[in-house]
Amino acid sequence: MSHIVVTRNTNRTRRDVMKAAGVAGIAGLAGCTDSLTSGDGGDGGGGKEALGNYPIEGDTATFGFNIPLSGPYGSEGQDELRAYELAVKHLNNGGGWVDSQFDDLSGDGVVGKTIDYVEADTETDKGKARENARQLIERDNAIMVSGGSSSSVAINVQDECQKQKVLFMACLTHSNDTTGKDCVRYGFREMFNAYHTAKALAPVLGDEYGEDLEFYQLYADYTWGKSVEESMRQFLSEGPGWSEVNSVATPLGTSDYSSYLSDAQSSGADVLLLNHYGLDGAKSVRQAVDAGVDEEMDIVVPLYNRPMAEAAGDAISGVFGTVAWDSAIDNTPSNEFTSVFQDEYDRIPSGPAQLAYAQTLQYAAAVERAGSFYPPDVIKELEDYSYSNIGMGEETMRKCDHQAQRAVPVVRGLPADQIETGNYFEIVNTTEASQVTYGCDTGPAAQCELGPYE
Amino acid sequence: MSLVADLISILLNGLQQGAIYILLAVGLSIILGTLEFVNFAHGALYIIGAYVGLYVAQGLVVSEGYLAEAGFSDLGLGMGFIVGMIVVALVVFVLGLLFERFIARAFYDRPDTDQILVTFGLAIIVQEILRVSLGSTSQPVNQPTWASGSVPIPGVAISEWRIYIILITALLVGIVYALVEYTDFGLVVRAGTMDDEMVRLLGIKLSRPYIIVFGIGAALAGVAGLVAGPLSPINPTAGTDILVPAFVTVVIGGVGSIRGAVAAGTILGITQAALIQTQIGTYNLAPWSQVGIYAIAAIILLVRPEGLLGEEVDTA
Repeated sequence: MSHIVVTRNTNRTRRDVMKAAGVAGIAGLAGCTDSLTSGDGGDGGGGKEALGNYPIEGDTATFGFNIPLSGPYGSEGQDELRAYELAVKHLNNGGGWVDSQFDDLSGDGVVGKTIDYVEADTETDKGKARENARQLIERDNAIMVSGGSSSSVAINVQDECQKQKVLFMACLTHSNDTTGKDCVRYGFREMFNAYHTAKALAPVLGDEYGEDLEFYQLYADYTWGKSVEESMRQFLSEGPGWSEVNSVATPLGTSDYSSYLSDAQSSGADVLLLNHYGLDGAKSVRQAVDAGVDEEMDIVVPLYNRPMAEAAGDAISGVFGTVAWDSAIDNTPSNEFTSVFQDEYDRIPSGPAQLAYAQTLQYAAAVERAGSFYPPDVIKELEDYSYSNIGMGEETMRKCDHQAQRAVPVVRGLPADQIETGNYFEIVNTTEASQVTYGCDTGPAAQCELGPYE
Repeated sequence: MSLVADLISILLNGLQQGAIYILLAVGLSIILGTLEFVNFAHGALYIIGAYVGLYVAQGLVVSEGYLAEAGFSDLGLGMGFIVGMIVVALVVFVLGLLFERFIARAFYDRPDTDQILVTFGLAIIVQEILRVSLGSTSQPVNQPTWASGSVPIPGVAISEWRIYIILITALLVGIVYALVEYTDFGLVVRAGTMDDEMVRLLGIKLSRPYIIVFGIGAALAGVAGLVAGPLSPINPTAGTDILVPAFVTVVIGGVGSIRGAVAAGTILGITQAALIQTQIGTYNLAPWSQVGIYAIAAIILLVRPEGLLGEEVDTA
């Protein structure tokens, strides 16, 4: 596996990197003797204390995109990268939501800085992701890091970002822990979590399949899978009164689920929950359908997306789940994003792509409102910020846990004969934020202790 | 579930999981045993087989990469799985010949580390070429329509295709075994393995049998890529992912031993299936299934360092 951090700044040569390293070294030495305060921060902040990678030297602010370009979530990562590149392009040159939905943004950089970015491949591995984050912050001087796909990646990266006082705008991460027990002051999540998914999905499943059924769960053996497993158990029991027969952990990256599926089928349960994501999810649902499990049990995949459905083929037919966002959501911001993404890449964007684009612009807009990249000011601009400009209705980025309270789209795979390229599922309903939200002292938020601002 | 159904399920799942390891390991093992060549590009042959097979047998929709940009987004011949397997075997066999002639042969007398470096490099090149031309999106491979049902045994959730995988593996490995054990060609190969200098002194040219051995090993890997396709959507990195279990199978079975590879693949597959499907009280052993494979490997190698059916190497 490669361990390469790729820079897209085409002007940057090895010599530039060496020079930068030298400057950083001298700056570090100077920092020992010099004052801890900067002049004006170089971004109009004026007199703020040096913190993380603030103040930014020069005219360019660098974003670090830490994404899975390989591993089980590789397809999702590729789509995220496309969206990040589009966001940077629009921030610098205008276009897309920068022109139409974000009044705070000008399309001429952010508070006078041109935006550049560096990408790094997490390989869907939390250790590699943390190391990448460290490099993006310490070597590339990233002022903001974004990424995800794999909650264990997101949790590790945001922990590193908290320590280094650099903002982390989480992309795809769905574990309750990201904004629950592992929440951090420097991390913000737009994506809903497993708790939201379970609250949205349980009533739909109850209506569709009936009450007092038995269900069986297979779940990815890490924070996200466990989170979905616990939340689905809670809300399927409390809602339609279903009872769990068994719940079995499967390692991330499992290639063959046949033995797990044999056990599930023989359990006599009515419904099988496959708490797998990315390529793992495509594999498990496909192998379940090929083995005829769907003839005896109804299959549910609580979280899926477009690349996953594409890889699963017609096995996704009839399968209920939730998606981060989908191009079929018919409102102005969604349609605009689909349109600009298609113009740029000639393909329909996935939910993770919309998250990547939205989170990048959300951060930039907060910087503009703060008038500075100074992290505590940006954080305060994001906290309790209400918005409705990213296609998911009215939302609030809650101050108590940095979790967006937003609507959850519930979807169902189309009948096999209607599945075609780019069209895999239909939206059953979009559960309003008010129906899935929870208090700051309940659910995952009850365990959240955000760290310090500085 | 009844105990009988449980056992049938573990046996079939285990044999099928083992079958893919065996198809890969037999090719790796005969190349390693005969030519003493460490081929880390074996996974690349597997993934080439998967993509060529998908193209011939079914077709693929490419939505990213150079081919999509050039307007070739809907590719495929749709000629069915059997034609696909034959074409894959031939194409990857020829690729194996070319690989042996132009790359591997130059490295036979060089250290293992050189062989590992060049073949691993080649595997990455193949992976990246596939990625930039076809994109990294995983492609679904449908089961052949004639094998799309599930096994009609109550309480056993296994698709028919998995039974075909076991049968195809048995047939192909049987053919290769017969070729190596019972033909003049096999005799020359085995003799060359034991003492190539003596065989050459007897006036027998070894380069031709060796290149064919390489081609056969490659063809097995290619077919493995196609037959495993319906189990798991294929993507450019799939070849790298499968390489480690394949090497473990070779090492446990004993380098150069076809029977050893079959025994090792079967043991690994059944161990994995048994651990996944066993529950003691309320504790499920599934999380130990991956560890179980390597624990078995460690135990076997402690007891028999040369592998199950490998021959002790005299290093004197």
